[in-house]
Amino acid sequence: MQQDKYSELLNKLENDELENISPGAELYQQLMAIYLYQNKLASAKLLWMRISNNLKENNKELAQLNLLNLALQHNKYSEFFKYIKYEWSESNKLIIDDLLFKQREELLNLTSSAYVSIYEHNLLQMTQMTPDELKSACLGWTREQDGEEHIWQPKIKEPTPSIASDDQLLKLTEFVSFLEN
Amino acid sequence: MGSALENYVNQVRTVSAAGNYRELADELPESLSLLVRNWSILDNVLETLDMQQHTLGVLYVLLGKLHSAGTANPDSTQIIQLMRDFMQRCNVDQLRFAVCPFYELCHVFTDYLVQKNLSILGIKVLSRAIDLIRHMDTQLTPIHADLCQLSLKAKNLNVVLPYLDTDITDISTVAAECKNQQQQQQQQQPQHTLDANNDAKYFLLYYYYGGMIYTAVKNYERALYFFEVCITTPAMAMSHIMLEAYKKFLMVSLIVEGKIAYIPKNAQVIGRFMKPLANHYHDLVNVYGNASSEELRIIILKYSEVFTRDNNVGLAKQVATSLYKRNIQRLTKTFLTLSLSDVASRVQLPSASEAERYILNMIKSGEIFASINQKDGMVLFKDDPEQYNLPDMFLNVQTNITQVLDLVKQINKMEEEIILNPLYVKKALGSQDEDLTSQHPKTYSGDPTD
Repeated sequence: MQQDKYSELLNKLENDELENISPGAELYQQLMAIYLYQNKLASAKLLWMRISNNLKENNKELAQLNLLNLALQHNKYSEFFKYIKYEWSESNKLIIDDLLFKQREELLNLTSSAYVSIYEHNLLQMTQMTPDELKSACLGWTREQDGEEHIWQPKIKEPTPSIASDDQLLKLTEFVSFLEN
Repeated sequence: MGSALENYVNQVRTVSAAGNYRELADELPESLSLLVRNWSILDNVLETLDMQQHTLGVLYVLLGKLHSAGTANPDSTQIIQLMRDFMQRCNVDQLRFAVCPFYELCHVFTDYLVQKNLSILGIKVLSRAIDLIRHMDTQLTPIHADLCQLSLKAKNLNVVLPYLDTDITDISTVAAECKNQQQQQQQQQPQHTLDANNDAKYFLLYYYYGGMIYTAVKNYERALYFFEVCITTPAMAMSHIMLEAYKKFLMVSLIVEGKIAYIPKNAQVIGRFMKPLANHYHDLVNVYGNASSEELRIIILKYSEVFTRDNNVGLAKQVATSLYKRNIQRLTKTFLTLSLSDVASRVQLPSASEAERYILNMIKSGEIFASINQKDGMVLFKDDPEQYNLPDMFLNVQTNITQVLDLVKQINKMEEEIILNPLYVKKALGSQDEDLTSQHPKTYSGDPTD
C-alpha cells in the first residue's frame, strides 16, 4: 500500500535514533523526509528541535529539508515547491519525489474544492510549475480569458465510491444485536 | 569493607538459589547504604552476579550505583548499557517481590539522564521497564511519568504516545504495592524505607506531562482531557503541578472550545487556590470572549513576561491564531457570501490576501466549508456537505460504536468488581441497616464513607 511504503524504514530509523548517542546526518535526513511525506508535521518539527546545532549548521541538505518542513508547517505552497527543486542525495531522492508528487496532487485537489475560480498567475506561483506543466496537470478544468489574464475554473472531483464490505456488515449486525439486548 | 560486600554477594547467591525471594526482598533494603558507601567496587560485585538468576541482588547494586553517581561520576554509557541489559535479561517473577525499589531505580535513572542531558537514550529502557512490570496494558505505573519526562526532554514523542493513547483503568502506586506485599506476608511490618508520598506526585506528573505532549502534537482535545484529570484530582491542598496544569488547561480550552471548558463541581481546590494564582490567564480568557483579535494581541503583549516565565508563549500564540479562525467561523453563520477584504476587516487581519490564506487553510483542515472566487474576490460560505451516506462516514461511525461498546464492557466489568468487593458490600449493607434501624433519619450525616 502507498501509505505503508515507508513505515518499515521509519520504524527502523526511529529505533536507531533511540539507540545511538549521536546519530548521523543521513538518519536525520531520511527521518525528516519520511515524516514530511507522511504528513507528520508535528514529528518533523520536534525532530528539527532535537537535532544538534552542529549538524544543523554544517549539513546543507538537512537545512534544505527543514525549509520544506517550515513551508509545510505554515502552508506556504509556493515556498515548498520552490525549495523542493534541489539536488537531493541518492538516499533521499526517492522519498522526496514521492513527497513532491503527493503534495502536488493534494494542492490541486484542495484548489479544486476551495476555489470557484483562480487566476493563472496565482496558480502558477503556488505550484511553481511552468504553464505547460500546469495545463497537463489540470485536465478537465476550464481556462477562460478575463481581460488581460487567464483564469481557471477547477472541476470538482467526484469522490470515488467504495463498496461496503462484509466486515462492515458484520460489525453493524453486532451493534444491532447489542442494542436489542 | 570488602568482606561486607562478600557477605552481600553470598547472601544474594544462597537465598536466590533457595528460591526465597520474599526473604531476600525484605533483607536487601538494609544493604543499600553499604552498597552506596562502596561505590568504587560495585562493578566487581556485578561481575559475580547474574542478571537472570540474581535479579534482586543486581537491582540493589544498580540502585547503589545510581545513588552514588554524584560522588562516583561513572561513565554514563556504561550505566545506560547496564540498565539496558538489566531490562532485557532480568527475571520478572523476582522483580514482583521488589516492585517499589524497581520504581525507585527508574526514577533515579531518569533524574540521572536528565541531569546528564542524555534523555533520549533512556526512552527505550523505560518503555521496556513499563512493559515488564505492569500487570495489564491499561495499568498506570509511576514509571509512566518518568517516560513522559524523558520524552519531553528529548523531544521525541513517538514511543510515549501509544502509552498515552491507552485509557487507564488501574493504577499501581507505591502505597498499593506495599499493602499488597504486606498482605502476602501476613504481617504488619512497617516499610520504613519506602516513601509513599510521591504517589500523588507521579500521578499528577503523568497527566501534566501527558497534556503537554498532546499539546505538542496538536491533539488539543486529548490534551484538555489530561489537564482536566490533573486539576480535578481530589485534593485538600493544591499541588504546584496542578496550578501549572490549570494555566495550560485554560489556554487549551480556549483553543478547543473558545471558552473555559466545563470543570466538574467537586474540584473545590480550583476556586479556592488556583484561580487567584492564575488571574493573568483569567484576564486572557475574558478578553478572548470579546472576540477582538486586536485586544487579544495587546493583552498577550502586556502579559508576555508572565507567559515567558511559565513557558506558555507558544501556547499564547496558538490562542491568538485560534481566535482568527473562530471569528472566520462565526462569519460563516451570518453570511452566505462576503468579499475577501470584508473578511479581513471584520476579523482584523491585515490584508485580503492574508484572509484568503487563512480561509484556504481552514478549508484544507475541514474547519469551514467555502469556496473562493478570485474573479470577483468573493468567498462563498457553504453548509457542511456531509450527507452521511458514504462508506467513509459509515466506517467512522463504526469505529465510534466499537469504542462505545468497549467502554460499556469496561464499565460493566469495573462495576462488577466493586459490587463483589467485600468492603463495599459491608458498607452498603451497613448503611442500609442504619437507615432501617434509625428512628431519626435526620441524624444521618449523608456521607456513606463516614
